[in-house]
Amino acid sequence: MSRLLIILWCLMCAVPAVAQDADAPIQQVMQAHAAEIAKASRRTIQPAIDALTDSGLPAAEIVLERWQAKEMWQDEATGLFVFAEEIDRDTIRIFDVSGPDIGEVSDEGYKQLKPNSGVRGLIAAALVKFQLTNDSPAIRRVALDAIARDPNESHLPALRDVIPAERSANLAAQMTRLERLLTISFGASEEEQIEAIAHFEGDLGVDVRGALNPLVKTTIKAAETVPEDPALVRALRPGTDALSKSDAYALLVADDLAPPLIPADAVRQTLIANIEDGKVAGVQVASLSTVQARNAAFATLVAEGRANPAATEQEIDDRLDAYQFFELYTGAPAVAIAAQSVLSGIETKVALNQTADLALDAISLASIYFLAAIGLAITFGVMGVINMAHGEFIMMGAYTGYVVQLFIPDHTLSILLAIPLAFMVTFAAGVAMERLVIRWLYHRPLETLLATFGVSIALQQLAKNIFGTQARPLTAPGWLDGSLVINDIVAISYIRIAILILALIFLAVFLIVMNRTRLGLEVRAVTQNPRMAASMGINPDRINMLTFGFGSGIAGIAGVAIGLYAKVTSEMGADYIVQSFMTVVVGGVGNIWGTLLGAAMVGTLQKVIEWLNPSNTLAAQTYMILFIILFIQFRPRGIIALKGRAAEA
Amino acid sequence: MTHTSSFDQKYRGVPGALAPRSRPFIQRHPSVMIFIACLALFTLVVTVLSEGFGVGLISTSFVKTLGKTLCLCLVALAMDVVWGYCGILSLGHMAFFGIGGYAIGMWLMYARTELIVVQSLAAAPLPPTPEEISQGIATQIFGVVGASEFPPIWAFAHSLPLQLAAVVLVPGLLALVFGWLAFRARVTGVYLSILTQAMTLALALYLFQNDSGLRGNNGLSGLQNLPGQADTPQSTISIWFFWAAALALGLGYIFCAWMVSGKFGSVIRAIRDDEARVRFLGYSVEAYKLTVFTVTAVIAGIAGALYYPQAGIINPAEIAPIASIYLAVWVAIGGRGRLYGAVIGAAFVSLLSTWFTGGQAPDINLGVYTIQWVNWWTVLLGLSFVVVTLLAPKGIGGLFDLIGKGRKS
Amino acid sequence: MSTLLEVSGVSKTFDGFRAINNLSFQIGEPELRAVIGPNGAGKTTFMDIVTGKTKPDEGRVIFGEKSVSLLKLSESQIAQAGIGRKFQRPTVFEDQSVADNLMMALKKDRSPWAVLRFRPRQRDHGAVAQLADEIGLVDHLTRRAGDLSHGQKQWLEIGMLLAQDPRLLLVDEPAAGMTPAEREHTTDILVQAAKTRAVVVVEHDMEFVRRLDCKVTVLHEGSVLAEGSLDHVTADEKVIEVYLGR
Repeated sequence: MSRLLIILWCLMCAVPAVAQDADAPIQQVMQAHAAEIAKASRRTIQPAIDALTDSGLPAAEIVLERWQAKEMWQDEATGLFVFAEEIDRDTIRIFDVSGPDIGEVSDEGYKQLKPNSGVRGLIAAALVKFQLTNDSPAIRRVALDAIARDPNESHLPALRDVIPAERSANLAAQMTRLERLLTISFGASEEEQIEAIAHFEGDLGVDVRGALNPLVKTTIKAAETVPEDPALVRALRPGTDALSKSDAYALLVADDLAPPLIPADAVRQTLIANIEDGKVAGVQVASLSTVQARNAAFATLVAEGRANPAATEQEIDDRLDAYQFFELYTGAPAVAIAAQSVLSGIETKVALNQTADLALDAISLASIYFLAAIGLAITFGVMGVINMAHGEFIMMGAYTGYVVQLFIPDHTLSILLAIPLAFMVTFAAGVAMERLVIRWLYHRPLETLLATFGVSIALQQLAKNIFGTQARPLTAPGWLDGSLVINDIVAISYIRIAILILALIFLAVFLIVMNRTRLGLEVRAVTQNPRMAASMGINPDRINMLTFGFGSGIAGIAGVAIGLYAKVTSEMGADYIVQSFMTVVVGGVGNIWGTLLGAAMVGTLQKVIEWLNPSNTLAAQTYMILFIILFIQFRPRGIIALKGRAAEA
Repeated sequence: MTHTSSFDQKYRGVPGALAPRSRPFIQRHPSVMIFIACLALFTLVVTVLSEGFGVGLISTSFVKTLGKTLCLCLVALAMDVVWGYCGILSLGHMAFFGIGGYAIGMWLMYARTELIVVQSLAAAPLPPTPEEISQGIATQIFGVVGASEFPPIWAFAHSLPLQLAAVVLVPGLLALVFGWLAFRARVTGVYLSILTQAMTLALALYLFQNDSGLRGNNGLSGLQNLPGQADTPQSTISIWFFWAAALALGLGYIFCAWMVSGKFGSVIRAIRDDEARVRFLGYSVEAYKLTVFTVTAVIAGIAGALYYPQAGIINPAEIAPIASIYLAVWVAIGGRGRLYGAVIGAAFVSLLSTWFTGGQAPDINLGVYTIQWVNWWTVLLGLSFVVVTLLAPKGIGGLFDLIGKGRKS
Repeated sequence: MSTLLEVSGVSKTFDGFRAINNLSFQIGEPELRAVIGPNGAGKTTFMDIVTGKTKPDEGRVIFGEKSVSLLKLSESQIAQAGIGRKFQRPTVFEDQSVADNLMMALKKDRSPWAVLRFRPRQRDHGAVAQLADEIGLVDHLTRRAGDLSHGQKQWLEIGMLLAQDPRLLLVDEPAAGMTPAEREHTTDILVQAAKTRAVVVVEHDMEFVRRLDCKVTVLHEGSVLAEGSLDHVTADEKVIEVYLGR
């Protein structure tokens, strides 16, 4: 029985049971353009596509889709089009273009249509019309996005057709906006365009600027007089920023209003061409080693008629003076003027928003500096101990986070675990350093600085030996990916927001610990008068140890945060140490609000300088440091200076 | 040997019959004489053993290492005067050292490239004009950073005397301006250290830019080739520079000893110990600090100008703050507040560094882990620095005191 | 006796605390003057203002025949103008010998260039020896200043002041921590010095002040409470109230 079936099946394959329906309306339409479809090229295919879309046949969409997907084949014998799926190298399964399955046949006698990418683009544009009326909102949205990415004139009527029927308010709004945008570019009349332009007053969308900018393109022209032309933007004078003299002259040359200049190298070439017996125009070649000598020889050649004279500066200037230069809109003037006015308004708003964005950037940079500096504010500001290994504590915290992530793949859990762990590791390191090194050097600040340098050098190299020199990843949890987008210009990544919040938490923790806890009270007591504190039963040794540990521990947590934002390397601490000290010093030693202000100032300053000179972040740091050196001239004790006799002593 | 003991001799005997007649400076300071004698002997030995002028027991590259070490000793001397004597822990003197190197490097590179360019243009049908030569040199030097014009700071690069003046003037002026600003604002102690470190960082970052005019992080290279001495072998040139470095170190030592010996030395040490008190004595502390800062910056610049032609290349990484920190490390390990301490520290630590990081030190196999000195030397250096600061603040120089005491008792 | 220093209407506030309140004070040349007052009366701040360490909020400080305003000068310029100050805690340069300390203080050109070229001559050594003799340290010239006893350091500091040859000498609690014999010697030095110059001694110790036997100014809450001989001021009602409490 089964054998019988197989035989039957083979027979069916060999002789299709159902023949192609040559009379189906869609096949008719296609046959009318068979030649263009079979040899599709971008230039000639549009009428065939239009015929399909205009046919109103439901099958047209499927035809276009499968054609685009290279699933349409042509029967070489009959010229009829079919859909086909390749079964294996030699066998295809064909379907009639109106739907029914025909069966498996050998691919001999069928030719696959392979539209090139240009043709596929046109098909896609045609398909959009079908997609815009699709029942699924998701597909309609995809179609809208496709139009927005690559709009063309044909989209405009399609859009206008579908807007009234659109049920989703959201999509309808999007369609209307797109329709207005397309009207700007492809509107039938100037009035229509201008009306659409006015619609976008103050719109920050990049697409709006993209649509408007081509309308306000200008060209520079030269004529004897400035014409009374509505397209006139402004008159230009050669030799200004808008139009250099050489550009102006090139313009005249291009319009055949002036003879071309002789290229700079021509004098040399002419002289070389005229060398005769070691002489040029009677001058020894060996003596032509200055510009003056060469010019003199060239002048002789000109006088003898053996070279063309070069235009002099004076001649060039005279030519330029004889003509007026002016700028014209290339497009329709009325539209251009309307577009220009809307664009100017948008640009003002863009500038405002860019300032806001810059401010956000500055705040987030400031919070990073604050994080990096707050541990220092404790050890240096409160205890007066300078710790050059502070940066390496930051690094230790970051590496702790990295190691935790090696063991715990879940990023949220690992970061939550890494923060207390980093605190513990660097707290322990801080306490160890205080006990072993710093304790012996109180009141010898320069030597503390040197000894902690030593620790810093050793720790940095140690990290290199353990973790290698390449950067290690510290990955943020997935929910910190992405940005908070306020509009097309203002956006801030969630990770920066997290760092800002962390910085604020640190500030709060610091204030609470210093002002509300027994430890804080004792720390302040020891800071102000260690001997008196000791006589009241406070153990200054213990307090110093804990304070130093606390400051170092905070550096460790900062390390985790900075590691999420930047790279984890053995040198990351060194990258932050100078800025951290600057933050503390600029803010004013011994005052956490000062550190906050210092961070804000250093962060803002760096962002502003970067903004003024965006190509060069190295220069930004240079100028920032120079600024700080100057700042210290005027406020040697920082923004918030300790006042009173204690500070004067 | 120390300052105090020279006074011991001076005031030995009855009060009133005080000072002996002024004797020559060298005689009053025998340590200077001993140092100069040692340096001369060392120079002689190296010359005799060198490849260029002697039996060839010392390789040319090692002669260069020794010559560079002498330059490092000279900058360490400057550091000792500014830090050990005047109490200013400057973390910027290696920047001055680097500036000196850049200043001389500009001339070396310009002059050598000029020779090459002139040679290549000689084949052209017309003799080159000065403009064409200059253009050719600029393209050669700045092609690597995508420029072909001379930046303004190269205006004097063609002239050896002017660039030699720059070796002295640029670090001097920079130190003068920076010092004036910092000292005027009464920035002292660790604040000043951090500020000098910031200055160094700013300079290094500036030089790292491609449009700094000094070839960005490529730096200046080929400095070991003296213009016009293409036929002189490096073995000979290395000895010339070794001599120059030895001479500079000798003169620098005498100058520094002269500076710190008399009343000036007294005042700057007093500033180190209690600058407020010195002010109430009527001394303008700022002027003294500025003098010391500037003079030592000039010495550092000269040392750098002698160092980099031996090193052959200078780039902004050489100026990074860590270099100045190492300088402080050398002086501290050698023993600050005594000139020979700085020299010993710089020579000892830098030669040891070269030995360890050059891969010549044998690795130690612990079975489970092999200690590779290339990686672990820096750790050891950092920790030994902590140990020296904690346990032996007088550094290696302190050993001489112990010897001295032992002899007396 | 002409007026050497005139302080008038000077006030200074630290963080809301009025350390000096409309203070006016004059001293002639030569004169020995003792300034007394309870803690916080503003004695140290007064000296800080005269020597340029602290700038007052208002008021005038005028010095010498040419009526130079000291407020515009730096500490070192004031010292060079002829005002010497001795601190409460002896501050000598402990790492250097007694002779070096005195040599540094000798009145000479103080510019760096001049000091760099300076080499002591016979008469400079003589001057140092003579000073050492005056302060009783002639046998200790070569000793490290840090090895001296507390009293000897005080004398050395006074010696350094005398070496400066100032016209006005401000001395803050010179007798603190001294043995009775040392005090007597200190009194002698100060009285001797006051024969040719103005000397202001700030002191707590009434016994010491009595021995100086000079005009006394009593400071209280930053201004002058009373002035006159010791007997006169100790009899003053207000002074008694301030010292004995209200």
